[in-house]
Amino acid sequence: MRYSWGMLVGGVRAVLGLFFLSIFILATPAALPAADYVGSNVCRTCHPNVFASFFRNPHYKSIASGKEKPENTGCESCHGPGQDHVNARGGKATIPVAFSLVSPEKVLDTCLRCHSQTVSRANIRRSEHTQRDIVCTNCHSIHSSPAPKFLLAKQQQSELCYGCHASVRAQFSMPFKHRVNEGFMQCTDCHNPHGSFASTWNMAARPRMVDQAGGNEEPCLKCHIDKRGPFVYEHAAVRVDGCETCHSPHGSTNARLLKRPVTFTLCLECHNGFANFGRRLDGPQNPSASHNLADPRYQNCTTCHVRIHGSNGSQLFFR
Amino acid sequence: MKRTKIIIVAHVLAFTLHAQTPVAPTAESVGIPRGDTISGYNVRQSFELGYRWHSVGGDAGMYRSTVNYGNGPRLLSSSLSVNSVDGHGGYFDHVQINTIGLGNDPYESASLRLEKNRLYRYDLSWRSDAYYNPGLTISGGEHFLDTVRHVQDHDFTLFPQGSFKILLGYSSNTQTGPALTTIQQFDVRGDEYPLFANIRRAQHEYRLGTELTMMGFRLNVLHAWVDFKDDTPVSLGAASQGNNLADLNTLTSLQRSEPYHGTSPYWRVALFRENRLWAANGRFSYVAGHRAFVDDETAFGFNRVGTPTGSQIVTLGNAERPALAGNFTFSLFPSAKLTLTNQTSISHIRMVGNSYFTQVTNGIFSTPFNPFTFLGIRTIANATDADLRLNKWFAVRAGYEYSTRRIRSIEGADIRGVTTPPSQRVPIEQENGLHTGLLGVRIRPLKALSILLDTEIGRADHPIYPVSQRNYETYRGRIEYKLKSVRLAGYSRTDYNTNSASLANFASHSRQYGVDGSWIPKNWFSIDASYTKLHLDTLGAINYFAQISTVGPVQQVTTDQSRYVSNIHSGNLSARVSIRQRVDVSAGYSLVQDVGASNLVFPQSFPLRYLSPQGRVSVRIHEKIRWNAGYQYYGYHEDYSGLQNYRAHTAYTSMLWAF
Repeated sequence: MRYSWGMLVGGVRAVLGLFFLSIFILATPAALPAADYVGSNVCRTCHPNVFASFFRNPHYKSIASGKEKPENTGCESCHGPGQDHVNARGGKATIPVAFSLVSPEKVLDTCLRCHSQTVSRANIRRSEHTQRDIVCTNCHSIHSSPAPKFLLAKQQQSELCYGCHASVRAQFSMPFKHRVNEGFMQCTDCHNPHGSFASTWNMAARPRMVDQAGGNEEPCLKCHIDKRGPFVYEHAAVRVDGCETCHSPHGSTNARLLKRPVTFTLCLECHNGFANFGRRLDGPQNPSASHNLADPRYQNCTTCHVRIHGSNGSQLFFR
Repeated sequence: MKRTKIIIVAHVLAFTLHAQTPVAPTAESVGIPRGDTISGYNVRQSFELGYRWHSVGGDAGMYRSTVNYGNGPRLLSSSLSVNSVDGHGGYFDHVQINTIGLGNDPYESASLRLEKNRLYRYDLSWRSDAYYNPGLTISGGEHFLDTVRHVQDHDFTLFPQGSFKILLGYSSNTQTGPALTTIQQFDVRGDEYPLFANIRRAQHEYRLGTELTMMGFRLNVLHAWVDFKDDTPVSLGAASQGNNLADLNTLTSLQRSEPYHGTSPYWRVALFRENRLWAANGRFSYVAGHRAFVDDETAFGFNRVGTPTGSQIVTLGNAERPALAGNFTFSLFPSAKLTLTNQTSISHIRMVGNSYFTQVTNGIFSTPFNPFTFLGIRTIANATDADLRLNKWFAVRAGYEYSTRRIRSIEGADIRGVTTPPSQRVPIEQENGLHTGLLGVRIRPLKALSILLDTEIGRADHPIYPVSQRNYETYRGRIEYKLKSVRLAGYSRTDYNTNSASLANFASHSRQYGVDGSWIPKNWFSIDASYTKLHLDTLGAINYFAQISTVGPVQQVTTDQSRYVSNIHSGNLSARVSIRQRVDVSAGYSLVQDVGASNLVFPQSFPLRYLSPQGRVSVRIHEKIRWNAGYQYYGYHEDYSGLQNYRAHTAYTSMLWAF
């Protein structure tokens, strides 16, 4: 039997067709269970305090629209059909989705019915937070948020994060730190709490939940534009293992968020000339004999190697 | 009544469990303003107008580097919220404006959200950070200028709730002000000369994109143009003998101009879909960074033997960095209890630089050459995670990740006809691999009690640097007990890394422990406390030259080690009391203390203490008005050298008006 070009194209088409058909079948939402939706006005009867300020809530859009299906409108879009709750004359147990009672995965499923379809939440199912049962309602307060934007459960985003990340709070309490407590920065300037894509530095394993700048660069470069390059002479450590090679990004007891209080030890821990390391595998070059490290003059390497993040004119980062 | 009580408690919770934020702006509010309804819009506003004072003893430059609050009137905070009552406003349905620190605080920010349901949404964020550059104390005292960074982001979305969206954005980042740099002249044994720089940097990003839904799939396409430039002039001022006054090196004049500009346009395409049984997302991005530069530098002075010397250097060229990245994630949900996820990612970054370098020293023209470097990093990673929720109180997760990285490098200077052209050079290439295993459990024996335990173990071959991760192990544990009025949590984290190859070795031990909790027995009283211990010790082989004895020659030292020990204790305590819903008194204390090493021989250890107590009183003098006053102390103390120590008293008073 001879195979023709047309048979090959036909076969490919058949395979692709089956693939997309299977996706379409799988993608078709399951039929909603028969349910009795009562409408938000019925909820208002017993919950006037919630409803009185609900027009300020972003979720009010579903009511204002007037075009959404009952299962996508108002209270019942999140809490499920309310007929049983009404018949039972109240009670949390009769609310199909009472967020204080349901499991974390149910909370996530409920919110993601509407909120899954953005790039920033593309990895929420496998994020570190989700895997530790930290889901939407741990950080967002739908009915009593003090922060109108994003309905955060606390007024300041940093306070919300510090609630679990106490060691990070300690780092931002240090004398040298990024200005998060002062309100200039927010945790989400560098992190995506909903999960991020694999980083493009540091072997793609760490750090996790760090958001990337537009061109998949480290988020540091969103602000520190002079470190961005490209340079003729890149300091390879910056591109290969990232800024954290030398800096502690949250805070430090050392100036310029460095990992060591004196510069030369930080540099010498890599630049020791021992083989098998470095971009040439002959070791990051150790200082030459002209550097008398016993002389304090030579102990601050960046006094001469001023363009340490990268240089256009000097292989030794002099200018 | 019960609902009202819950809202009040939530409100109190939101305003009390503070980190040690600056004492101003005031966290307390006048209540829960209901606002006024005008022409179908509900309007709520608040303004906190006040005055700051500060007084510093000790190193004022260090205070300005780390805190930097000054004197003067401020709009400490403000907010404006306008909401359409029926969701059918004219040109907008929601306006939200928030500001912090306007009027000359070193940290200022403002944000605006403007939206019309289903039609558009506009977000603006503006921020300013003024920081002191301490290097300029070499001018013989303090200077009065801060280096200022302004950042602003604008995002406009057309049809934000629709299946077809148009995304427009603009971001800008500018940095201006004084800075210090140095230059080394006239040869490698010359001297270093401090220079003043007037930073002028700017970056502008323009974004255009769309997001559309088809057959349940969401496609997001974004294209951005990023332009950046730097034209920072430097000046020597008067003739300088440099940092080393014992030699003859002198720089009498310097002219340097080194402008650059570049672009970094990028594309991002994402396709994703979430379903009851599976979820998939793919993302592809490509950025093509390009920079053109020129450096023109002329220096005159005396070299190390006292000979008059003149040097001119010209460098110009281009550097390019195309970067490609792709991710594909597929998740399966075969049952409500099981989630399986696989993610594959690839990134490929190439850095290519060409430049022309020429130097004229004392009229002698050195051979011009073209430095050429290439650095390519290609990383492929695949990660698989499984998350199994066995029952309501127990879940387990496990994962495995493998990533491989290839680093290619070409370096050299091309002198035409003398050296091998870059195109004919053989690149140096190396492969790194990393295997990572993850295992974790979640236990919730009681509704209020949760326990998390997990570990990650990684094994890498051929790490690129001695300090890179090679054999690392991470163990984490967290326990939390949480009720409505009380929360207690404890955690521990250990990170160990050992890296050794050939004669070099590096070991890093990081251990973190902490407890924190809050107690809110009544809506008029709350207390919040935390303690964290951060331990880090590292040991690395180092190799350098030094003059060991006072008269001997410089010798190579190959057997020394760099030992660093840091033992940081950090604590926060804050409490708040509300008296008859009229007077709020809050107090806080924050302490960071590095006690250094206790039992190691000759480690690098730099003990210091940084503490900051604060107190605030806020009195509700009217249904809509509060008077506030606060005090915060900052104390910085280094044990090793007291030159940078300072004590700062800061205070403020303000009126908060909300309606």
